[in-house]
Amino acid sequence: MSQAQKRILMAKTGLDGHWRGPTIVARALRDAGFEVIMIGMASTDDILSAAVDEDVDLVGLNIGGHIDVAKRAIALVQSTRPDLPIFAGGTIPPHAAKDLEALGVEVYPPGSQLSDIVDAAERLTGRK
Amino acid sequence: MAEKSPPKAAFAASGIELKSFYTESDIPTEHRARMNVAPGDAPYQRGFHPAGYRSKPWRIFQLSGFGKPEDENERIKFLLKNGETGFIMEHDRNTADHCYNVDHPDVVARREDVGLTGAVMQSVRDTAICMDGLPIDTSFGHAGGAVVQHAPFALAAYWTVAKQRGFDLAKISGTGQSDFNLTYLGCVTKEQIPTQAGLRFNADIIEFCDQYLPRWVPVSIAGYNAADTGLTPDQELGVLFANAVEYLDEIKRRGNVDLRGAAKACGGVSFRASIQIIEEACKMRAARLMWSDLLRQRYDITDPKIANLRIHCVTAGSKMTYQQPLNNIVRGTLMALGAVFGGVQSLGVSGYDEALSIPSEHAHQMSVRIQQIIQEETGISHVTDPLGGSYYIETLTAQLAEKAWQFFEEIQAQGGYLAALDSGWLHSKASDNQYKEFMDTESGEQKIIGVNCFQDDESPFHVDGFMGTDDAFDVATSRLQDVLRTRHEAAAATALKKLEADCKGETNIMPAMMQAMDAEVTLGEIGNVFRQVFGNWNTPIQT
Repeated sequence: MSQAQKRILMAKTGLDGHWRGPTIVARALRDAGFEVIMIGMASTDDILSAAVDEDVDLVGLNIGGHIDVAKRAIALVQSTRPDLPIFAGGTIPPHAAKDLEALGVEVYPPGSQLSDIVDAAERLTGRK
Repeated sequence: MAEKSPPKAAFAASGIELKSFYTESDIPTEHRARMNVAPGDAPYQRGFHPAGYRSKPWRIFQLSGFGKPEDENERIKFLLKNGETGFIMEHDRNTADHCYNVDHPDVVARREDVGLTGAVMQSVRDTAICMDGLPIDTSFGHAGGAVVQHAPFALAAYWTVAKQRGFDLAKISGTGQSDFNLTYLGCVTKEQIPTQAGLRFNADIIEFCDQYLPRWVPVSIAGYNAADTGLTPDQELGVLFANAVEYLDEIKRRGNVDLRGAAKACGGVSFRASIQIIEEACKMRAARLMWSDLLRQRYDITDPKIANLRIHCVTAGSKMTYQQPLNNIVRGTLMALGAVFGGVQSLGVSGYDEALSIPSEHAHQMSVRIQQIIQEETGISHVTDPLGGSYYIETLTAQLAEKAWQFFEEIQAQGGYLAALDSGWLHSKASDNQYKEFMDTESGEQKIIGVNCFQDDESPFHVDGFMGTDDAFDVATSRLQDVLRTRHEAAAATALKKLEADCKGETNIMPAMMQAMDAEVTLGEIGNVFRQVFGNWNTPIQT
């Protein structure tokens, strides 16, 4: 029996419209056989409801701004779906990356290799 | 003896295949006939003036802004004290790009983001704080307003403060940018007026400046924003001129002002200065050549004061690495050199912490110092167009211009620049290039020091990203309440009605915007009028 296609939600926590990072990541994930649901700039509530409604296996957050905004989204997702893994990318300075990692979020800053991100998606969704 | 393998093929970022050396016969014949002119003479590829940087050093012009308006003011004064020769006022992206006040639910939900990329300026009072003591009469000032729907507010607020301080608008110089490549291609916001409305705004600004602010650069088309989104150097050139003809054709159609004035207004542009620095120098030369040809052939304009393109450059932010950030001082220096070899009139160097955050004070200072060292110590400023006449430089300049015209024509075949934005055609071009660029890095075909090779980082110098101040949201909230409580309410209501009527009709919106500033109408109220009258752009991509 073939395994069902794993689903990944991608969202931006900020109101900053730079799109090249998340779209490249989405493309690499799709090429690797994942179904990617992109909701763009989204509120904390929208991120949670999309994660639940779409029954995703992984949440990817693009963080272009302050991590406190992302932390609220992470807390909400984790309180409702504690088993749902989250990874994040964007201009996340090292001190903020450490804070996110302490919450169990994997961080892929600028310069990360797409293959590492795809590997992480496979591991986090249990595909590998 | 073993036979040597033939040299590996090499390509410029524009995809032009490079020879391992060049001779005179490589220079295209038609270019050879035009290349032996002095700088300052048509077709201007050799630069803006025979004496070049001896007549006028390039402007040191750094993006700057964060926190509260007074934080931004302090940073700008720091840069000026360190030798910056123009200044840029960044606005908070959350509020400015969307024309929201700070109490908009989407902003409140992201309160910690507020002030991270620029100060919140939602009334003329905020702008006055940010401009306090700045040399607006003697320096070229960037009022902010890079995003099209925000430009009328940023400009009107800046000009109103200038008037309040007793300056003659006819004598001040600066820009607000109002750039389509940023707004509709590179940095797509959640809400934005449609491109046709944006074109009307920019035409209004051009005509208003033509009448009242002749020294102002009303719109500044930024190839930078197209390039850092993924377009190649030839495409950056092609898209910039495709954008310019949309503006000029519209001004011609409206028939309100002399097209020559509008052409001068559109001739203050910006480009990205990326890391393939020889090609980038050629790109600046090709840009001047193309502008002169475009104006002559399409609009019959040959006046040197108009046909001589004025170029601001910013080093490529996306080439700055998160890993081993001090290496970015070297990258910034090299990219700045490429721009200077290309003869640009104005330059900003990205901070070495660009990939981590907005610039720290030290990173900002280094960006200024890099430029000063090139300007004062290297002697490069002594001779204009130092690379001119090189077989390679002249060949690549001509090839880039030719390839750029092909892309310009491709855009025309899509129905023009606006249509190519509306359909998402340009976005998919950028996206394909981005993906290829990433794959080349991934495979190791393109090496990036500290990223995919030589990754060991034992630097004792710790760079951790500058996060600005943490009270921007609270202060902006209380200042908004103050304005709404203490302004003359009837005057504000009248001004808003006038703005709405002018938006619905065909009257230039800028006089109503100036009236709105006098009446202390706020950014969010103006945004509400724009949204109600013009609706929202149907974004062709999912960001």
